Amino acid sequence: MFRTRVIAALGAVVLALAGCAGGVASADAVPTLRWAVTLPAHWDPVVSGSGAQFRILSLAYASLTEINEKGEAVPGLAESWTYNEAGDQVTFHLRPNLTFSDGTPLNAAAVKSYLERAKTQKDSALFGDLTSIKSVSASGDRDVVVDLTQVDYQIPLLLGERVAQISSPNVDPAALDRSPVGAGPFKVVENVPGSHVYLTKNPDYWDAANIHIERVELLAEPDAATIVSGLQTGVYDLANVVPNQVKAAAAAKLDVVVQPGFNASNISLNVNKPPFDNPKVVDAVRHAINRQEFVDKVTFGIGEVTDQPFPPGYPAYDESVANAYPYDVAKAKALLADAGATNVAVDLVIPAQSTAAEIIQAQLGAVGITVTIKVDPNWATPFFAKDLALSIYGTTGRESPVQTLTAHFGPNGPLNLSTPYEPAGFAEAVAVARQTPLDSPDYRTNLQAATRAGLQSRALVFTYSQPNLFVKSAKVSDIAPIPGQIHWTGLTVTP
Amino acid sequence: MVLRVLRLPTGKIAFAILLVIAALALFGPLLAFQDPLEGGAGILAGPSGAHPLGTDYLGRDVLSRLLAGSRISVLGAAQVTLVAMVVGVIPGILSVYLGSVFEWLTLRLADTLIALPFLVFAVAVTALLGNGIPQAMFTVGIMVSPLFYRVTRAATLAVARSPYVEAAIVSGATIGWVVRKHVWVKVLPPIAVALAHTAGVGFVVVSSLTFLGIGVQPPAPTWGGVLAADLGYLSFRPWAPLLPTALIMATVWACNLLADAIRDVSGEGGKALITAKGVRA
Repeated sequence: MFRTRVIAALGAVVLALAGCAGGVASADAVPTLRWAVTLPAHWDPVVSGSGAQFRILSLAYASLTEINEKGEAVPGLAESWTYNEAGDQVTFHLRPNLTFSDGTPLNAAAVKSYLERAKTQKDSALFGDLTSIKSVSASGDRDVVVDLTQVDYQIPLLLGERVAQISSPNVDPAALDRSPVGAGPFKVVENVPGSHVYLTKNPDYWDAANIHIERVELLAEPDAATIVSGLQTGVYDLANVVPNQVKAAAAAKLDVVVQPGFNASNISLNVNKPPFDNPKVVDAVRHAINRQEFVDKVTFGIGEVTDQPFPPGYPAYDESVANAYPYDVAKAKALLADAGATNVAVDLVIPAQSTAAEIIQAQLGAVGITVTIKVDPNWATPFFAKDLALSIYGTTGRESPVQTLTAHFGPNGPLNLSTPYEPAGFAEAVAVARQTPLDSPDYRTNLQAATRAGLQSRALVFTYSQPNLFVKSAKVSDIAPIPGQIHWTGLTVTP
Repeated sequence: MVLRVLRLPTGKIAFAILLVIAALALFGPLLAFQDPLEGGAGILAGPSGAHPLGTDYLGRDVLSRLLAGSRISVLGAAQVTLVAMVVGVIPGILSVYLGSVFEWLTLRLADTLIALPFLVFAVAVTALLGNGIPQAMFTVGIMVSPLFYRVTRAATLAVARSPYVEAAIVSGATIGWVVRKHVWVKVLPPIAVALAHTAGVGFVVVSSLTFLGIGVQPPAPTWGGVLAADLGYLSFRPWAPLLPTALIMATVWACNLLADAIRDVSGEGGKALITAKGVRA
């Protein structure tokens, strides 16, 4: 009797294990991408807003426009767009027969609904990006007419992945935040917050023929030190990687993807608060910063120095004013002395431990500014309320360079810690850049003029730019070098 | 008492280690032959003549940071121990004599404190009162105090119900006199054991908090902080976490050995801790 029970128990165990093995095999039978990521806190693109999370949301949502490898706007849900003669109205022409993953038609009315929600919803993270949009109307089923408050040729760049990931109008925004309904290449089939999100291919996506992955599994990102072993053992196929793990990833013969981007990190100063209400103290900070040290110690040489809100080589990067405030400790000390600023002390408030913050502390300490690093997990609240005197920020940039400029230097720019301060001449220069068609020979010149005007701001000291880093297994094909974005079309995973 | 502890092998080992740690706490910052806060160009370098334990992610000398970090760890552990003892011992004795209401309240409070995860609570308190070792360690000291409370209360109860104490009270002795004359000497041995044990707990807690970056402001060096930094750069210096880990482990081990040694020499009733003038039960 006992022996029979033991055999039965063993049999059950074997069957259970076989069942588990079968489960894995079935997941692997179709091309599946397992991506270790910081799972999005919000799946509603209006609430999630800009930042890095839009890359993940792009699995579930398609955008009005996309960008190509040169950063130029190319068709997405909209197959084309046309400006009126004055440049204050743009009409987007949608592709035919678009539908959301819940079967709702994706028509001009749906796009209008989305843009209006982004402008008016109470917790919208996008309304500040849409100030150029006066009103949106639907002309027929496929034409979205956007009337502008000013001449603005940046709109096709603006209404890309970060700002115009169109969601279904039939879903309550609160529900959308948990269960996204978009028209992207995949649709969410299971979402367990903090654990995983499973998605399957959306056959109704407008470019579904070029989507070769059947299933995406988003898995909560583990500690950075364990990412490489996770890929080695096949737990993940793709992961974000921090610079100090690149060496380990390369040693493990994994593919390290150095993807171009618009990233730039800065030191944010509040010129409305002491000690930065004294322009000479700000100048002292500008000269105290050795940018190369950030590149060496934060990016491990992968990044590059920048003193502008873009990496060098970007269309809006103005080479003529590069290194306007060279690293010069003696000059920084002299400026502080000239300002009569003795015993200058300031709190550097950051959201989490940061090597960059420690570098800033040491560099400012070397010229006589005592910096106390304070880690505040609720940092975002005082930062965006402009209550801090000193902080740091790293932006992933925007497809629209004008949007990047206004975010940093505009009087209400979210990254301008000194609101409502705006450098003299910036508003005029940025208006000229907006009014310049993207294909105009003057476009780059006018953009750079706006950058020059913005860099007069005493509220920001840019430090370094780091590309987006991913590590992937050999099962995953090459990722197209689209600046700052991952395009799922053409990507393959060997089962 | 000290001599009796030192006669035990465990006592000798514990004293030796704790003596070194105490010396590091006192003189560590002076022994650091390089500025523990000053970075250099060579980051994550291996051991060399200039940097015997290599450099960290900002090019700072790791040996100097470990030496300079000793004081924070020792002072943090000492604070936990002191607070726990003060908060636990006195109510532990009084709970036996101040009546059932006080007894019930203190017992329930002790139960509550035991139920709370003290590390998480310390993190919450630092978020509320500011990121500093004193706040965090004060909180942890209170959270650990039920150990002293219970040990002291148990010892006091044993003495309070003994015939000679009852005889003393019948003869007109006051509660204060009984506590001073009979109770205090009885509770000293378990307190000494708890003291050594709590010091070990204190080291673990201060290392855990500083590992998480709580309680200390960068760039101040701590053992836990050095360990946390090393773990982020394993591919460069895989052996590096062993050094702060060994320091933390050795210190905690020494505290526990000392607790064992005190317990062993105390014997039942803590005779070894009672002076010639004390009362032998």
